[in-house]
Amino acid sequence: MKISNKFLFAVFLTGFSIYLVFALNPEGASRILLNLLTFAGIYGLSAIGLNVHFGWTGLLNFGHASFMGVGAYVTLILMPHAAGREGEITSTGLPFIVALIIGILSAALFGLLLGLPAIRLRGDYLAIVTIAAAEIFRLLVRDLESITGGVYGIINYTENLQQYRPNFINNFSESLGFSPSQAWVCLVAWVSILFTVLFLKRLNNSPWGRALRAVREDEDAVRAMGKNAVWLKLQSFMLGAGIAGLSGVLLAFNYGSLETTVFVPLLTFYVWAIMILGGVGTITGPIFGSIIFWVIISETDRLAFILFENANGQQLAGVRFLLVGLLIMALMIFRPSGLLGKKEELLLDVK
Amino acid sequence: MLDQLGNGLLLGIIISVASVALSLLYGVTRIVNFAHGEIIALGAIMTLFFSSPVDYRVLFLDKYSPLGYNFALSCILAVIVCGLFGALLEICLFRPLRKGNVGNIAVLVVTIGLSIFIRHLYLLFATGKVQDFPLELQRRQTYLFFDMTPRNLNVLIAGIVVMLIFGFLLTYTRLGKAMRAVRDSEELSSVSGINSDNIILITWISSSMLAGLAGIFQAIINDVRWNMGFLILLLIFAGTVLGGIGTSFGAMVGGFLIGILVQVSVGLPFMEGHTEAKNAVALAIMILILLFRPQGIFGQKERIS
Repeated sequence: MKISNKFLFAVFLTGFSIYLVFALNPEGASRILLNLLTFAGIYGLSAIGLNVHFGWTGLLNFGHASFMGVGAYVTLILMPHAAGREGEITSTGLPFIVALIIGILSAALFGLLLGLPAIRLRGDYLAIVTIAAAEIFRLLVRDLESITGGVYGIINYTENLQQYRPNFINNFSESLGFSPSQAWVCLVAWVSILFTVLFLKRLNNSPWGRALRAVREDEDAVRAMGKNAVWLKLQSFMLGAGIAGLSGVLLAFNYGSLETTVFVPLLTFYVWAIMILGGVGTITGPIFGSIIFWVIISETDRLAFILFENANGQQLAGVRFLLVGLLIMALMIFRPSGLLGKKEELLLDVK
Repeated sequence: MLDQLGNGLLLGIIISVASVALSLLYGVTRIVNFAHGEIIALGAIMTLFFSSPVDYRVLFLDKYSPLGYNFALSCILAVIVCGLFGALLEICLFRPLRKGNVGNIAVLVVTIGLSIFIRHLYLLFATGKVQDFPLELQRRQTYLFFDMTPRNLNVLIAGIVVMLIFGFLLTYTRLGKAMRAVRDSEELSSVSGINSDNIILITWISSSMLAGLAGIFQAIINDVRWNMGFLILLLIFAGTVLGGIGTSFGAMVGGFLIGILVQVSVGLPFMEGHTEAKNAVALAIMILILLFRPQGIFGQKERIS
């Protein structure tokens, strides 16, 4: 495999941003880095799923947060947990891996459900429908308090994953002063990314992957070749949604308690920013994009303290989102192909 | 159920005015403007800025705004500021993008970035907490079938009058014809001697002024928040889509329908105790409309694929 200059540049930039974390934080850099890499892994995974939708197939999905949400809620509800105002305990449940698989399949099924009607719509309409469907999902989850815990959320579920934590994580975390539970989530996230990337690489070079990209380039041509373009789009919707579901589960385990406010549209926009930064249509791009994005996000808290003397939580979040907005705009205007993307592979116009 | 009708009409007028603005912009420029909500919020925030008496923390002015203009004057000034802001967006951002042949989807993503950016500017520098206009409280009264305060009734009437005047201008003036010509084909209208850049600029200005007005209505009826525009944006999309995207009359009717549906659905039997989910009803209706009649109630078939 030939390594391109773009790839080297992305690796360099990623390495540099990790170096920046160490340079800017004389104390506790490794702990900050762990937190950042955990989020980067989870969001990167989600962005890889989004890339299957937008980058490969050209589907303008702005409801990505709902796929993550379906995966997370279904998985957590199937396992032992506590939910609701009173913290009602459900002590029986499926083992983690079974619940996870059902969760991922539910996310994929939700992708199919949403895709079935939405797929007939043109690009910009699809954007509106997916963002609306994600909001409906969020409002319903918030409303179904007896199942999902409503605004009070779900708690006491992290043990389902943490019980599998191998011993070496404990030893390793102790020596470096990490939280062992987060180190385990981080490892699981990056192993998931590894497998997803290997899986997608195989798919990408298969006839199926080529047909998918052909749908993005010219749907009529795909039809003329006797392929079912609608079914291909639906498969893409399911695959990407499944990957998002997995990342949603990991996000839940990283937070330790799950609330509906996690799945607001802004989550989708975060993932979009990561995907564009990494490179639309690439497989590994979102990984680099995600790390760089999270370094930017976590280091800009300083900016908040420069702007406001005693910045409160609202101001910190505000400055973060200010930068996310700017990043999305600037990338889309000046470098829509991101770090690794190819300009000719970008879908920028409504078909 | 009927007691919600008044609230429905009030939500309807906000969505209606905002939908007409969104629809006009989409019709002429083909931009799905996710930053529309932020222009709406700008109308409300600027009105607060111009009118608020002492002891408000608005914009960079610490603790109080020294202006304290008369409320009607403040509204007019705010709408003008919104128009200028629209012009600024067109000249500094969207015109260069159009000249650079940036595709629709890229522009859509740009408007999302813009929306996030501006919204959090408001949060940081304008109004981090919920605020009210400096108006005295009024008691609700009954008009025909619905209850509302006299001030809100005036808002309703003013909104309808503004939309009628706007519709008249769009239909019968040279400018309106030119707008519709650019909407149908930018190239053909250029050939016919229409300066399409100017028309698009005027579209941005008028759309933003209408959006600002919708924001003032929203703030009078409810309150001023930094994210007030984003909260209502999806309902505006729903109204626009329901009426038929790109048609002003459709957007007006669609906006009212969505507003009434949202509020009346609170009274449905299965919605008892689930009032928080009322927006979901409107969004579900929008999705159904897009599935079975994507051109909306008043749209034309050629606009969809």
